[in-house]
This record gives sequence, structure tokens and C-alpha cells, in this order.
Amino acid sequence: MKDFEPNIIGFLCNWCSYAGADLAGTSRMKYPPNIKSIRVMCSGRVDPIFILEALKKGADGVLVAGCHPGDCHYQSGNYKTNRRIKLLKKFLEEMAVNPNRVRFEYVSASEGAKFATIVTEFVDELKKMGPNPLKDVKV
Amino acid sequence: MVDEKELRDVVKKTISRDDVKYVVGYEKGTYGFQATPCFAYKPEDAEKFIFSPLCVHNLTVFPMLEEKPPLRKGEEPDTRKIGVVVKGCDSRAIVQILQEKGLERDKVVIIGIPCSGVIDPKKIEAKFPGHIKKVEVNDEDDKFAVTVDGKTQKIPKDELMPEKCKTCEYPNPVLYDILIGKEIKSKKKEDYKKVNAFEKKSMKEKWDYWEKQFEKCIRCYACRNACPLCYCKECMVDQLNPQWVRRSVNLSENTAWNLLRAFHLAGRCIGCEQCERACPMGIPLMKLNKKIEKEIKEMFEYEAGISAEEKPLLAMFKPDDPEEFIL
Repeated sequence: MKDFEPNIIGFLCNWCSYAGADLAGTSRMKYPPNIKSIRVMCSGRVDPIFILEALKKGADGVLVAGCHPGDCHYQSGNYKTNRRIKLLKKFLEEMAVNPNRVRFEYVSASEGAKFATIVTEFVDELKKMGPNPLKDVKV
Repeated sequence: MVDEKELRDVVKKTISRDDVKYVVGYEKGTYGFQATPCFAYKPEDAEKFIFSPLCVHNLTVFPMLEEKPPLRKGEEPDTRKIGVVVKGCDSRAIVQILQEKGLERDKVVIIGIPCSGVIDPKKIEAKFPGHIKKVEVNDEDDKFAVTVDGKTQKIPKDELMPEKCKTCEYPNPVLYDILIGKEIKSKKKEDYKKVNAFEKKSMKEKWDYWEKQFEKCIRCYACRNACPLCYCKECMVDQLNPQWVRRSVNLSENTAWNLLRAFHLAGRCIGCEQCERACPMGIPLMKLNKKIEKEIKEMFEYEAGISAEEKPLLAMFKPDDPEEFIL
């Protein structure tokens, strides 16, 4: 399992986190290429169904990133996502999926460095966890 | 024990009103330990109505299931009310639907019945297998008096009650227009003993358990149709673009369906156990719902189906919601 490269789906909010990821890129910060970013207009757009679908299709981790509390472009989207994801994590635990495969972070547009560290950290964590068990569920 | 005469009188009075379309209640089933939903369109129909511990169904599905075909030219929409006979748990479903604005308050007439516990059809079927003749069941304090073939047996309630009734905190309807009989007091408390016990198991044990359960699922969607809160116009499993759950019946898709179903009911499930009752394969669906219910109670101090004025759990937030990290 040494050369296991986790596959991460990142749902990044248009106003903060995607710009933050952009900044990490334009300022040439180094972070692992395992994350596949999907831009959403708000982290509140992320329905738990998206996360479950990603895990079902074999993603090893899902990162949802939104604006800092109080900074949401749509006032309260990130607060609602916070609730949803917290609940989803508890639920995944019950369903024998490691809840740390799902991560919710606040990344603002100026936090390119934070984004890079989050991704690096997440990849390391997932490497320790190993591949997603749902990937091997026989069809 | 509920006075059935009073119930019939109330139903008769309700259906006689001009602004009521029909009343849904219970009647005796055709055989065995069955009670079936019954619809009264005319005052005479009220004579069929009963209420016994066999009345397990949550009738609040009916106002939600009603099909509303497009109107013909010149036709006026039917704005009459629907009467529903509810127990304590069923009334919470109505409150939850009202909270989500799935129904308008003035479109339903709620006939509430205080209920001290019903009988789990699967449990009584196991005790008296293959009964075709009609039987009598009466409620006697802490026992059910079951009369089969002329012989009366008294069975302790705990042996026949479904799980929900053992820990029921709301024996009286939360919301009603007309209450039949007197309110009853209950000292029962939901302690989530089973949820806590399951939580302690290891990841491997949990997955082995659920794998076995979900392999049984035939995806008939009976759980969805029996649920009073599954009333989306188009269910996400029927959607084709994007297709969240594929049609094939296999472990992966079954797991996806059961997970999504349970999560769609997060903060909405009122624990009436209709999904589990309807499941032909005996999958313990309530285990998932109860787990979510417990977490919600702990994290957000919220309980579904108590107040129609409150906002739905996942559509609101509090600044002091629990955080995993400090900013």
C-alpha cells in the first residue's frame, strides 16, 4: 500500500475557497495533485447526496471548503453546510465509513497557503487510512 | 381504551360538514390481526370506524399521497379539507409536514386519539401464526387481551409492542382539532440504549452487519411509500438525470438507497416506524433513523415534529452550533 495515491474530490465555493485554491496556484505553492476540484457557487450548494455519490463511486476523500463564518456571499450558506456535514459524519460512522474521509474547512480567498496545507494534510491522512472500502463493494 | 362510539360520532359530525371531503380512519381488516385504513365519504361510513391496538398505520400519508390531476376547463379546484384520525406519533408527522409547508393547516381536520401503545403486526403474527379468522384485541392497562377462537389470553404489552411504543414520549397528539377521550400520562423516556450499544461496535462489525441487512433489500420502495414524510414530487431515486441510484438491485446500489433515504429524513423523521413495518425483508431501518435522531438531539437540541412554527433543522443555523476546531 506504499504507493497508494488517494483520490480526493474537492467542492470549493466560488467566492472564497476556489479563489483561495487559485491563489495557491498563481503563487506557485506546492501541494499534492490528488485533489480534483469542483467549483460550486456556495458551499451550501453541496447536498450530502453529492458526497455520498463521490464516496460510492470510489473517491477516497471529499473536501468541502467554504467561506469563513460570517463571510458567506449568500449570508448563511456555510453555516447550513456546517450542520449538514457534521450530521453526515456521524451518520457515516454508523455506516462503518471513516468519518474523517469527509472534511469541511473554511478557506478564504486570501488563504492560498492554508488551502495547500489542508490538501497536503488530507492526503497524508488518507494515505494512512488506505483506500475507501466502498470502492470494493461488489457490484 | 378509546370509546369507539365517541369516535364514530366525531367522524360523523366531521364528515357532515360541507367543507370536509373525506375522513381517514381505521376499520377491521378482512382477516387475522389486521386493521386497514378506511375512508368515510358519507356519514353512514362512520359506522365502520374502530380504534384498537391493531391500528398501527400512520394515516397522515393519505393527504400527502392524494393525486391532484390537472383541472379540466372550467373546473374549480377542490379546496375541501381532509379529516385524519391520528395517534400521538402520527400527529407529529402532521406537525412536521406543516412545518415544511407541505400542507396547510386549514386543509386538515385532525382527530386525535391518545394511544397507550399498539401491537407490532410481525410480533403478533409470530405468536399466533396463520390466523385467518377475525380476532379481538383489547387494551388492559399493562396487558393486551387477545381473544383467539373464543379463548382470551392476556399478554404483557412489552412482548407485543413495537420498539417505538416502548420508549414513546408523546402518547397524546401534539396537535389536534378534536380529541377523543382523555389525555394519558406517560413516564416513558427515549434513552437510545440500542443506538449506544451499536455505536460501541468496531467498524468491521458494523459493516458486516449492514452488509448482511442491505443484501436483503429488494428495493421495492415500500419504506418510502409508507413514510408520511417522503412526499417529494419526484423522488431522487426516480430521477434519471442525474441518476443518483441505479436501477440494479445489488449491494452497492442498495446501500446507496438506504443511506440516502435515511439522510433525507434527517431532522424530519418522527419515528413512527412505518418504514420498518412496511419492509417485506425485515431490514431494521429505524436503526438508521434513530441514530440520526439521537445525534440531532445531542448536537442541535432539536426534535422533529414538535412545533409547526419552528424552522426545519437543516434550513436554519445557530451561531453556537458545535465546531470541531477554533478559527
